[in-house]
This record gives sequence, C-alpha cells and structure tokens, in this order.
Amino acid sequence: MSTLAIHPAPTARQLGLLLQWQFRRMSQFLPLLVVVQILLAVTTVLGYGLLVGTPPPEQALYLATGASTVTLVMVGLVMTPQMVAQARTEGSLDWMRTLPVPRPVFLGADLALWTLIALPGMVLGVVAGAAKFHVHLALSPWLPLAAIVVSLTAACVGYAIACLLPPQVAQLVSQVLVFVVLLFSPVSFPASRLPGWLEHVHQWLPVQPMADAMRATLVSDRFTMPLRSTLMLAAWCAASLVVATWSLRKRA
Amino acid sequence: MDEVLVIEQVRKRYGKPPRGVLANDGVDLRIEAGQVVGLLGHNGAGKTTLVNQVVGLALPDEGRITLAGIDAIARPDEARRLASVQAQANVPITGLTPRRAIDLVGRLRGGSRADVRRRTDHLLEALDLGPWADVTAQKVSGGVARLAAFAMAAVAPGALVVLDEPTNDVDPVRRRLLWAEIRRIADEGAAVLLVTHNVREAETVVDRVTILDHGRVLADETPQDLVAGHGAEGAEGLEDVYIEMVGSAEHAGSTTEEDVA
Repeated sequence: MSTLAIHPAPTARQLGLLLQWQFRRMSQFLPLLVVVQILLAVTTVLGYGLLVGTPPPEQALYLATGASTVTLVMVGLVMTPQMVAQARTEGSLDWMRTLPVPRPVFLGADLALWTLIALPGMVLGVVAGAAKFHVHLALSPWLPLAAIVVSLTAACVGYAIACLLPPQVAQLVSQVLVFVVLLFSPVSFPASRLPGWLEHVHQWLPVQPMADAMRATLVSDRFTMPLRSTLMLAAWCAASLVVATWSLRKRA
Repeated sequence: MDEVLVIEQVRKRYGKPPRGVLANDGVDLRIEAGQVVGLLGHNGAGKTTLVNQVVGLALPDEGRITLAGIDAIARPDEARRLASVQAQANVPITGLTPRRAIDLVGRLRGGSRADVRRRTDHLLEALDLGPWADVTAQKVSGGVARLAAFAMAAVAPGALVVLDEPTNDVDPVRRRLLWAEIRRIADEGAAVLLVTHNVREAETVVDRVTILDHGRVLADETPQDLVAGHGAEGAEGLEDVYIEMVGSAEHAGSTTEEDVA
C-alpha cells in the first residue's frame, strides 16, 4: 500500500465499518442496554396500570401506545447525550472526528445504533400495553417510518445537546428531560389535560408530534396524524439533522 | 523534497482578552515528505492546539495551513483524507482487540482488506504486539493500548502522520521498536509531526525540532544545529538544550499532563 494514498472507503462501506466499530465497542453492554430499554417500556406500562387502575377506553389507548413512544424518545434524548458526552470527555469523539469520514456518515452510524437499541423495547412496550389495557391495535404500514423518524429526530436532538453543551451540563439536561417527557408531555394522555400555557408550548416542541405519529400508526383505526403534527415532526427532524451535523463539523 | 505541511503565521486564542489564552501566536512550521519533525514545548505551549487546527478540530483566528497543496482551513474534509492522527488522549477500544481495531481503522481509511491485513500484521510484529493482538482491549495494559493507537494511525498513514505523545505508557523495549517504526513511516514517504516530551529518545529519529513556548516558535532547527548553536558548556544533548531554552526543568519533566486544549 502506498503510504501517501488515502482514498476513503465508499460511504456505504464506511457506514458498515463504523457500525461494526460501534457495535463491537458496545458489545459488553449492548445486551444490558436492550434489556434496560425493554424493562423501561414494560414497567412504564405496568406503572401506568398501578396509577390509573382500569382506565376508560380512550385513556387506555393513550397509555398503551405511550410507553413505546417514551422508549424511543428516551433513547434519543437521554441515552444519546449521555454516551456522546462520555465520548467527548474521554477524547474518543475528537479522535473519531479526525477520521476521513463524512459527518453525516458518523451521524448515520450512531443513529442506526440507537434505533436498533430502542426497537426491542418499543415493540415489547406496545405488546405489553395492548395486553395490559386490552387495546386492539391496528398497525399502519407507516409504522416503521414513523418509528424511524421519531427515533432519528430524538437522537439528533440528543446529539446536538451533547455536542453543543459542556458534557456535565448535557448529562444534567438529559436527566431533566426524563422527567419532562414522562410526566409533562402529552404522550400518555391528551394534550388537553395540560395547563393552557404548557399545551401551547408543546405545540412547538417535538414530543407531541412524535406521540401523535406513534398513536396514528399503532392504532390507525382510531387516530389520525394531524397535518400540523406531520409538518412539525418533519421540521424538527430536518432541523435536528442539520444542527447535529453542524455540531459535528464545528471547530473549537 | 515536497513540502507536505506548511503552517504560516497561525494565531489561535481561546476566550476573549484579557482572560483568554493565546494558544498559538504566529506559528510557522514546515514539514517535507520523508521528514520527522519533533514539536516540543512545555505543557500549555500550544502543541495540541496546533495539530488540532491541522486536522480541522480547531479553527485558527489567523494564518494559513496548507496540507499537500490543500488549504486545510478552508477544506478540512480533504485535509482529513491526507492526514492520520494518534490523539493525545488514549482512544478507548473496549470490546475490540488491537488487531480488529487496527484493521477497522485501516479499512475506514480506504485500505483494501488484503493491504490492511498485511500492514496490520507487519505493525503487530514490528511493535512486538503479537501476544496481545487478539486479546480484548479491556485486558491489555495502557502501553499496549497506546501502541495499538499508534498502529491505528500508521496502518494507512496518508501524506501526514500526526503523533501526539506516542511513547506515553510504553515500556523501554517497545519504545525502541516504536521509534524505528516512526522513522520507517517517514522513510516510506510520509511527513511525520511528532508531539512529544520524550526529548532524549526523540532526538534519535527527528530530522528537525520545533520548540514552542507560550504559543510562539522558540527554535526550528536540526537537533545538531540546535545543540551546536544553543548548548551551553556541559550540555550533552537536545534535552539539555531544550531545558535550557525553555528556562525551567519543571517544564520539561512531565510526560503525562495534558496541554491546553
């Protein structure tokens, strides 16, 4: 091999190699991470049951579909910033950024990894929710796309938080987000139950459209995706991708 | 010879005056293909800041950086295709073996599977890493991990190889092997920018030495000229001259503390 010739591998191959790198790096903890996500999703459903007892049908639909949305959002908004902040602190993120890999490929590999980690929890959360609250699911063919867009958007926002804020602050913000998403976001209950000002704020935040997308594709015979939510989710997805890519390109 | 890296009047400040740090203050540096240039300086002299600007992790406030004819400031993506880096911080490769990590990085950098395998085998043997080549990283020592990180930079080196403290944690026997391998990379045509506090050992492989002091270039000469021109009576080598020049033995001692940024 000539020492001077570096012609980086094609993008698809780089993506595969990076995924392999990330998977092997996490191989020790990967099963544990997946199990924790599954437990989070299933225990959220069981916890809802303890809180509300036997809910009326409309409320049951929200609770049954909420856990899966919470899982996807948590992985993106909470676990991604924590892992990225750790990589920044130990210096490995900066070294990875010296590799001749386009920034979107980095992002793609990480997002694929986070989505795959979240997926089993999401599926089992739905199954547990449907069983616990006796909900009949009507899966839409758009479900995989909705799950990917929700996961992608959440992970991109998490990525941007981790890249733009100091690592300790990013970890703290992610902790606060757990609280906000679980209790004060219209995921497992209708937005109309929130105080007026918070309902208004959520009209501009990504969590409500994410929950709308999951409900509309899990119980497609009872819920539809409002146009506003579609546009908001698309806007948040595009904006978060741009910001995450920019934050990876950013030079000190 | 071809100039691979040309750094001209680079200035970089972190934070705003008067509280910020002027990490690089008009730094000039040139490295030709086939040369090893040692970048020396006390902790906080601005060495790591300088190399971070070469590979697009930091943005200079002023100055020019040209890498194999490419404007590395305007086109950091292209600069990264021309340079490979061993970072100052140890890159954790938990879950991987040294062989797997070197192989994956070589292929990410565009090497064919066969070429990368051949080069990986060579590096593992040359650095005497055979016994640890297939041991997962959590079970290898810091020195072995450091050598694996060097091999990750050397497996598909490109026009410029940046090595930031490659000898940290490495035992004396393997340090000799490492120096020989660094020399070999240059002899095969790459330019090597070597950031180190290990002045005594680096003297044996560097073609030129650049000494940074509080962000400024204090000297840029061959080790022989430096010793001949600046060595006071009793100075035995580059390290003595270096300590004399930067003015404090305290500055020259540490091999582990981190530099500014």
